Amino acid sequence: MSRGRPSPRRRAALAAAVLGLAAAAIPARAGVRPAYGGTVRLALPALPREADPALASEGPDLFLARATAGLLLELDPGGRLAPGLLAEVPSPEADGRTFRLRLDPAARTASGEPVLAADVVRALSRVLSRSSPSPHAWAALAVAGAEAVLDGRAAQPGGIQILSEHELLVTLSMPLPEFPYLLATPAVAIPGAGPFVAAPLEAGRPVSLSANTLHPRGRPLADRLVLSAADARGAARLLERGEVDGALGPDAAGDRVRPLPTLTVTVAAVNGARLGSSAAAVRAALGALDRAALARRFARGAAVPLPTLVPQALLSGGAAAAAPAADGARPAASAPPAPPIEPPRPLRLLVPEGASDARAAAERLQVLLFDRGLRAALEAVPRAAFAARAAAGDCDVAVASVTVLAPRPALAAAQVAHALRGAAGARRALAALAGKDGPEAADAAAALGRELDLFPLVASGARASSGPRLLGLAAGGAGAVDPSGLWLLGGGAQ
Amino acid sequence: MRLALASAVVLSIATAAPAAPAPATPPSLSQLAESLASALGPPLDGRRDVALAVETRARPLAPPLEAALASALAARGYAVTPLGGGAEPEAAARAGGHDWLLRVQAGLVPGRRELAAVAEVVPAWTSFFLQRRPGARAIPPRVIEATAAADAGTLALAREGRPAGAPFAGVRPFARVPGRVLAIAIGELEAGAGPSVAVATPGALSVLSGGGERSAEIALDRGGAPPVRAPAAALAIGDFGGGRLAHQEAGARGSVFSLSRGRLERVASLDAAPLCAPAAGPLFGAFAPGTSLLEDRLSPLADPAAAPRSASRLYGVACAPRGGPIALALLRVDLRLELLGPDLVPSPAGPGGQPAAIDGVGSGFALADLDGDGVAEVVASSPDPSSPDRIRVLAPRPGAPAILDVGPVAGAILSGAAGDLTGDGVDDALLGAVLPLEGGGEATELLLVTADPREAR
Repeated sequence: MSRGRPSPRRRAALAAAVLGLAAAAIPARAGVRPAYGGTVRLALPALPREADPALASEGPDLFLARATAGLLLELDPGGRLAPGLLAEVPSPEADGRTFRLRLDPAARTASGEPVLAADVVRALSRVLSRSSPSPHAWAALAVAGAEAVLDGRAAQPGGIQILSEHELLVTLSMPLPEFPYLLATPAVAIPGAGPFVAAPLEAGRPVSLSANTLHPRGRPLADRLVLSAADARGAARLLERGEVDGALGPDAAGDRVRPLPTLTVTVAAVNGARLGSSAAAVRAALGALDRAALARRFARGAAVPLPTLVPQALLSGGAAAAAPAADGARPAASAPPAPPIEPPRPLRLLVPEGASDARAAAERLQVLLFDRGLRAALEAVPRAAFAARAAAGDCDVAVASVTVLAPRPALAAAQVAHALRGAAGARRALAALAGKDGPEAADAAAALGRELDLFPLVASGARASSGPRLLGLAAGGAGAVDPSGLWLLGGGAQ
Repeated sequence: MRLALASAVVLSIATAAPAAPAPATPPSLSQLAESLASALGPPLDGRRDVALAVETRARPLAPPLEAALASALAARGYAVTPLGGGAEPEAAARAGGHDWLLRVQAGLVPGRRELAAVAEVVPAWTSFFLQRRPGARAIPPRVIEATAAADAGTLALAREGRPAGAPFAGVRPFARVPGRVLAIAIGELEAGAGPSVAVATPGALSVLSGGGERSAEIALDRGGAPPVRAPAAALAIGDFGGGRLAHQEAGARGSVFSLSRGRLERVASLDAAPLCAPAAGPLFGAFAPGTSLLEDRLSPLADPAAAPRSASRLYGVACAPRGGPIALALLRVDLRLELLGPDLVPSPAGPGGQPAAIDGVGSGFALADLDGDGVAEVVASSPDPSSPDRIRVLAPRPGAPAILDVGPVAGAILSGAAGDLTGDGVDDALLGAVLPLEGGGEATELLLVTADPREAR
């Protein structure tokens, strides 16, 4: 089997293929061109709570970020990079670490303000900010000088140089050919320059968004979006009554359901230093965790076992595909039998609040540990506190679910590693997987899992349920629903 | 350079010229007969007695062609005896004591409006030296041929009938174009060059020959105009002043192009969407700002200030190439097709004064008089985006069942146009089905919908 690195074009095609976006995978549908106008009403599992794209990490918040923040680069339906607020897709300069970003001079926010180089600097610096830590620091870690911002010694990375109002030079501290894909994530998008404009969020009230007619890709198809919260049963009822046009969530709500790519990964991190002699038993228990059963019976949404830290959907076959119980999972048969021991205290399993897949995995782990003579207690904490405690090692095992934003293995691994091992883990992930794809990336991701003591468990994806009039509720190039592509049959005419 | 169309172009779909008295023999038949008679030359050695056998693919063409030939041959000194439709014309010619058998076969040339005839000149007299071989020819036969441009009368006579039990029309691939075709137009881009097909894709305009081969292409520049999220274009072939091809992409300024020696050249700008250009004159509309939908605006002038008919938005407008009682069709975003007569009013009037309309028409559609009965049919894609596409031919009246339903069709049909591409004198339709390609990208399969029986063979 050839392990040569595929070309960027081929990589995009492979990524699109495995995301289920490639041409052949799309069933042929009759041709009705998109119609403009109307209000699309969408039910989400919860109301968006976070309007800042740098802080969005849960599904509803990420949806809102994609709707309201302007992406520097876009991903076309085939997964290829395309201009967004940037006028062109940047290529690395001679040294391979420098990228020249040129903003579209016509790019405006919804209020008509031009998008300037300073806004890009602000977005890249924002995710590194120490004052309100972002779950997406991984997105700017490769920029030279990122460390100083994380440490609070600088306000912006020294590796970003503003050349003019519409041009800036970004120097990386490491070679990272995937850097342009980072610019296609909502994490570093420009607030207020997205396809929609949101009214101020009010707790418990549906979120209303109106079309941004100044969006550089053209105004979105729908005039308005209204986001409400409903559980699966409620969403199905609303769909049936025609009170919403579609629903996004882990469960199906109706007959016209389309699964989205499984890009939310659940991973456990073992704190070997704190566990001491119990670490081997915990690792053995994690290795014995039946991930297939976890995916089938306990995870919500369309779920599959996760062989490495990188969602299988981003890897084009290879070792991980061929061997679902790859190194990262350490199957029980190969694990040494753990002698029952009695630790002086119950183990602490940390999970973020509201992460149902992480909680389900932690509960299964709790049972397995009990069988091995280890008592464990679950502790659910707010996401911000979870990230800090997991990175600081303030738990025995941390289990997190991370929705991968960038469809490249190195960036996905960095995001996952950052969620559980902080900036240091993310840097190691970037260094280990940069420029790798397919089997090579799968092998590197497996090795990274061992190195960081991370145990990949399951990958899940949401389900998109559409009513009879809603179209466009499907995965875009990034594997997520593009709010600007939602439209109603008949537009605003009905 | 601005195009000064506003003062020059006036829609006159409503006024059809009174029909002139039909000549006894269609001119193109006379021309063909004259050419063939010239190729035959004067009687040889005083042998003037000609038995004439005429065979044509379309039976109605044979008698007038026979008459035209008889007349042309008589004018050259031949005594002509038509043999009718006998099975053994050579034997009949010999039995009748004729000098020659002129056996003529004629028909329309596929893809061109041209009538062609091939004739065998067979000696029918008995050779003194070959008396022991009664069937032997006294001298070797020869073949002569002639062609003539087919006029409307000849096209009507030469058009082959649909075989019994055959479907109303057939569908076959015409050409494949890289990218997503946004609009199609069919017409004559250069005088006397026959029909061409123009296709607009995002950022490019291409011209295909009537046989489907690409003959010209030009890259388009949006000129800094902001993009629209779902690209669309309006495209028409007709008389647009300095050029015969007019194009506008949604959100951008339009242009008029001319085709010369295989090259497309931009000759003027255009501040309107060229909807179509039937024989009666072009018709213009406008894209709604920021969108890929058309406003409900129809104007014979390229006038950006023309008043809209309503606040509705349209997917597209189609014209019947030859007019008729159903001259225009407007597809609204609710997939309702409004049918208009030549005077741009609903036709036929719907019940209660409501506009005549057909519900459930997909956004790839055309108006084409496929059967040549003078009334255009609606050739349309499926309106149901949840199932594979289909090609349907609908009678132009509300609630009428589909005359033809072909499918499933690979891809999504998003564009359509009508014109005579097979050269049989009646309309065909082209529909563009957008296909996703493995490895990314798209291509558009142009599908020819035709009732020309020759295409079904």
